[in-house]
Amino acid sequence: MSTANANRLTPYLFLAPAGVVLAVALFYPILYMIYASFLDWNPSQRIGEAEFVGLRNYVKLFSDAAFLESMGVTLKFAAVVVSVEMFLGVGLAMLLDRNIRGMSLLRTLFILPMMIAPIVVGLMWRYMYHPTVGIFNKTLKSWGFESIPWLSDGSWAFASVVIADVWQWTPFIFILSLAALQSLPSSAIEASRIDGASGWQQIIYIKLPLMLPVLIVTLLLRLIDSFKVLEVILVMTNGGPGLSTEILSLRINRTASEFRELGEAAAMSNLLLIVLLVLTFTMFIYNKAQDARVARQRKAEQEA
Amino acid sequence: MKLTHTKVWSAAIAVTMSYGTTALADGHTADVYAPYAGTTLVVNFPAHPHYNAVLEVLPEFTEQTGIEVEVDQLQYLKMRERQTLELTKDEGDYDLISYVVFSKADYVYADQLENLAKYFMNPKLANPKYDAEDLIDGYVQNIGVAGGAKGYLPGPTGSLFGIPFGSETSVLAYRKDIFEKHGIAVPETYDDLLKVACQIPEVEPGMGGMASRAASGHQASHAFLLHLAPLGGRVFDDEWNPTINSAEGVAAANALKTIVDCGPEGSQTFGPAEAAASFQQGTSAMFMDSIAFAAGFEDPSKSKVVGKVGYALHPKGVRRGSQTGGFGIGIPSNAQNKEAAFLLMQWLTSKEGDLKVAMAGGNPSRFSTYANAELNAKYPYSATFGEALKYADPDWRPIIPTWGKINADIGTTMSQVLTEGLDPQEALDGVAERARAIMDEAGYYTWQ
Repeated sequence: MSTANANRLTPYLFLAPAGVVLAVALFYPILYMIYASFLDWNPSQRIGEAEFVGLRNYVKLFSDAAFLESMGVTLKFAAVVVSVEMFLGVGLAMLLDRNIRGMSLLRTLFILPMMIAPIVVGLMWRYMYHPTVGIFNKTLKSWGFESIPWLSDGSWAFASVVIADVWQWTPFIFILSLAALQSLPSSAIEASRIDGASGWQQIIYIKLPLMLPVLIVTLLLRLIDSFKVLEVILVMTNGGPGLSTEILSLRINRTASEFRELGEAAAMSNLLLIVLLVLTFTMFIYNKAQDARVARQRKAEQEA
Repeated sequence: MKLTHTKVWSAAIAVTMSYGTTALADGHTADVYAPYAGTTLVVNFPAHPHYNAVLEVLPEFTEQTGIEVEVDQLQYLKMRERQTLELTKDEGDYDLISYVVFSKADYVYADQLENLAKYFMNPKLANPKYDAEDLIDGYVQNIGVAGGAKGYLPGPTGSLFGIPFGSETSVLAYRKDIFEKHGIAVPETYDDLLKVACQIPEVEPGMGGMASRAASGHQASHAFLLHLAPLGGRVFDDEWNPTINSAEGVAAANALKTIVDCGPEGSQTFGPAEAAASFQQGTSAMFMDSIAFAAGFEDPSKSKVVGKVGYALHPKGVRRGSQTGGFGIGIPSNAQNKEAAFLLMQWLTSKEGDLKVAMAGGNPSRFSTYANAELNAKYPYSATFGEALKYADPDWRPIIPTWGKINADIGTTMSQVLTEGLDPQEALDGVAERARAIMDEAGYYTWQ
């Protein structure tokens, strides 16, 4: 072998271990799941014994009212929690973007909720929502109001899980927005101040547009995450009452363990994966477009 | 339902009795166990009051036999998941498993549990004094036997795959003091029960009538089925046509709705633990569920109603029919110490073993244990429970591989009836239609 050839191969040689790890750890499980979604497979069988049924699992899903409802619940849940969390998180960051004494302590306190294990969050809220001994209903009663059926009425239960999720994940958006805010070029903000922009004008015309790239990434990360919440809702409502809080990951969990339909569960997971892939690609494309725009601007500046 | 019960298991015992008396006749029990001394059995048990009692008794087994027992204890739904994986392996880690009654269908169908006949036929293993006739018949049929009528029930073609251990039926627990105070009679029939359930909140403000499971999913389905059998309904007829939407089914749904509406606040999301806690804390006057909860009501460290609780039979609708549930023990086909596992199984469910476990707070599997004077002195409700067992209905819910899905559907639909005001007839018509599709797909109508 000539030296030139060996030289050309060297990078691939160095990449090979990483490639093998990637293939084993990432592609194998995904391919396995895709393969499983074409099988009629119950957990008492080995995968080799399962019957190949082609696209039947997928066809069944689209005519399954419970699955469609669960898909609807998931979309509604993701849309509501992400909008509320973005609004609150960015708002809080704007409010706290100043030199307050003890700011670093405050910041740590604010992000505590997202550090708590999801199961614990679920249990905590479940007890707070308890119809008679929970803190909410107790307080309402002591103030002379009617108690609220937090978890025992479909619409309230949905609101309750949204509240718990917002409580847990707003800090995530808060912390990222705060970091973005603090890294903004102070020259732009100073310039706007000299030009006489009011506080609101500064936020709307200077800060938000400059933060936008970070906000978009944050939004997509949260969106992807919110499609996959499981533990908190599992503990709080287990999807009930009825199907009002049965999000997709819970449905997948039940399909696999309660209904013992591994093939169908795999098909659902694949659909979820596709939805998430679309979201991730959007994020990727946005980043690309953004980079291209910056590059174009820089080029224009250089030419000028 | 009328069935001819040829009890394969008792036949097996009869066979052993004629062959195998030599092994034990002169009381040399140590010889029986000697070949297995030093073996370590790995068993999988649920976290459940009965099995907590078993843990107290197990050291005695090791002492008598020299067989060590290592217990892997899991929450019962987790236990089922673990077993599902374990049982598909070539060589399993578990020698003896406790299984939830609805796992019977899955395990037996997948050929994962040992048929026990060959053990009861083995003179070196089977104890002639075991007295299988004394085991509670409804439990043995429900939990142990498969392959008879409808596949999951006993019958001429059935055989034994497990022995009931930690089995349960339903009884009505009520507050004696409250009933006496208002001169209310203990409900004998469903009409009485529903009347009393709604009368309590009126005469005792702040107290719910009856605490019941109702949470979406398995719990709501369980609660509904609890009323379906005594009110005369069944989920399927003998040819697997769904009959859940019959008039009896609607009556059961309405009964559940009445109970939940007149129950303690927040009943709609109660699981069994919350319902039992409500009764324990004195916020409801009745509780109709498994006998396994009784020990908790009499425990002063948890309960505010110690000594105030009376127990009665599950009220009668058009017939008596209390639930059968809980656990059985069986030997996995991939177990590595099957014979020693059988010895443990036989020891635990023998007259002596059963009594020991019951005295430690477990649920008896034998009529003789329920009749035991010592046990009745320690747990005064034992006599009522023994009586309730006579009406235990092995067919109160179908135990078939498709049940998980149908059960979940009944549960979510019933939750909609309870919380969203869905009409019971409409709800059950929907369940019946979807159940038919599931059954059709699984091949239950192949012969029609």
